[in-house]
Amino acid sequence: MVLAPGYAPLSFTAPEPGSYALPAMGSAADGAVIDSEGNSAKLHDFLGDKPTVLSFIFTTCDDVNGCPLATYVMRSVQDALRADPATADKARLVSFSFDPVFDTPDVIDAYGSQFRAGDFDWQFLTTEGATTLDPILNAYGQWVIRDYDENGEYMGTMSHILRVFLIDESRQIRNIYSTSFLHADTVANDVRSLLMEATAATSADTGS
Amino acid sequence: MIIKGFFSALIALAVLVQPTSADETCMSPYMAKIVGQEDYVYIWTLGLEGVGNGEDKLVTVDVNPDSETYAQVIHSISMGGRHEAHHSGLTDDRRYLWASGLDTSKIFIFDVHTDPAAPKLHRTIDDFVEKTGGVVGPHTNYALPGRMLITGLSNNRDHGGRTGMAEYTNGGDFITSVWMPTDDNLQGAEKSGNFADGYGYDARALPRRNVLVTSSFTGWNNYMMNLGKMMGDAEAMKRFGNTVVIWDLHTRKPKKVLDVPGAPLEIRCAWGSRSNYCFTTTALTSKVWLIYEDEAGEWQAKAVADIGDASKIPLPVDISISADDNHLWINTWNDGLTRLYDISDPFAPTQIMEEQIGEQVNMVSQSWDGERLYYTSSLLANWDKTTASEGNDLQYFKLYKWDGKTMTPEFNLDFVELGLGAPHQMRFGAHALYGGMTAQSPSGLITAPPAH
Repeated sequence: MVLAPGYAPLSFTAPEPGSYALPAMGSAADGAVIDSEGNSAKLHDFLGDKPTVLSFIFTTCDDVNGCPLATYVMRSVQDALRADPATADKARLVSFSFDPVFDTPDVIDAYGSQFRAGDFDWQFLTTEGATTLDPILNAYGQWVIRDYDENGEYMGTMSHILRVFLIDESRQIRNIYSTSFLHADTVANDVRSLLMEATAATSADTGS
Repeated sequence: MIIKGFFSALIALAVLVQPTSADETCMSPYMAKIVGQEDYVYIWTLGLEGVGNGEDKLVTVDVNPDSETYAQVIHSISMGGRHEAHHSGLTDDRRYLWASGLDTSKIFIFDVHTDPAAPKLHRTIDDFVEKTGGVVGPHTNYALPGRMLITGLSNNRDHGGRTGMAEYTNGGDFITSVWMPTDDNLQGAEKSGNFADGYGYDARALPRRNVLVTSSFTGWNNYMMNLGKMMGDAEAMKRFGNTVVIWDLHTRKPKKVLDVPGAPLEIRCAWGSRSNYCFTTTALTSKVWLIYEDEAGEWQAKAVADIGDASKIPLPVDISISADDNHLWINTWNDGLTRLYDISDPFAPTQIMEEQIGEQVNMVSQSWDGERLYYTSSLLANWDKTTASEGNDLQYFKLYKWDGKTMTPEFNLDFVELGLGAPHQMRFGAHALYGGMTAQSPSGLITAPPAH
């Protein structure tokens, strides 16, 4: 088993935050979700007020280079941002389940409690079912193949391509990461780049 | 069957596969791979006047030997004219095939997941030049995570070789563009030699080194000109690319411009975790070049082998690196040969065999297991040969079986006789990529890009 690069030290020096552009890749879609306390909400409730890293996962995923990689990297991003008071409360992580059958609010709450550090803004979301989930997955290009046995019975497992999104305060997608491109150092610096961008915009607005 | 969990699956299988060449290894490292029997080959085909309806086409050939329609054209979409069909590429999730036209600068996006046996046109990008600020001739369609990188060959100001690259979302929405570095505007890059010509052609990524490598060909004025006329035009022959550019993959900023004189074309990067190098071949000077990171972390370029007799202009075109980085297939268009090089020492490649494929040969694509070699013939509408010597095929799609020593012809489709045109880029399709299991795809094994 060869682990994805996100599990190892970055094999190059991550570009300096603010030294590069992250062009907008389109609007982040909305949809009906349920938070880890069981409250109905909109996905946009969790996007737009600060830079957000959004990953699509399911808690029973056993592919070490799939969902566990996403959560591992997001925890490392959390650690990096928490370590600096200037960024500790300036960004959000969202882990969004695409298995509404198993990943009930209680399940994602328990899952999230394993990874969330302190009061860091890391949200865990699920949906009521395929009716609300599928339009969101389609809008984000997060396609999933549900695995069925020879009798056509759902096996409770899925094949999917890993997608993690960086979304800015205007709800614009600014980067997309996949297995070979997902590393905490670069993701954290992308978040810092968006924060610097927002600070620069604020300074320009106020003339300071 | 589908291997559940795309990501670890590949890594497990990558250890098991035979160390052979494979077109799948020449594609984006971000892309899921077919490692079993491919079901279909999608062939981006140039329309020829007087052949069928004369239009460019996406042609689908059934290549699964268990199928009742094996070795037959089972589907074809005509594109409403000729666009100089050239290269194509799949998105990272392999749901869409992007195919571009060098003349009209249109990009056609085909849905290949709804019915892999019958691709359908999903979207046409017809404002590429406008959106990119003047880039002409979309060439390489290369998958990056959730987006496509499109290299250009030319520009709309003088239709010469200065050009740029563009990025689009997988859905076909424009994101951004960047121009290649030139003497006038190096954009912060280091000019390491004599050239900073701003030309473009191919692109390949080495994610673990955060490097993107681009090569350089020629502009619209040349690639749309009759080959004989161009070869006799001394000024035109000066307008070919002489550079390879090393980019910061994450920031898309050029870092270093390397001299690689003679039109470096396809780029193939090694897969080994410590193999920080790529190969390219030069069309005009007929050499293999190694683009490598030295011990000091600096990227360099070095000519490491000759390809045939350069004075006879064999014109190396498509190349394909093996999964174990030990072999490189090199096609030479002008003499119709495919040549196998031992590249186990990347600084000293050696040709170990050659085979006549046709009057002319351009592209080579292999199955993941290396046992199947597909070939097509066409280079450019105004460069292709119009007659073939006795016993040689002119415009074809061929399959050879390869056992590591001998090539055995399996089938040969004459694209003129079939009324299709001049076949160019090939890409593979499989039902198993999309969860569909059919009798035609009993052994489709799908996996994802390896982690480096």
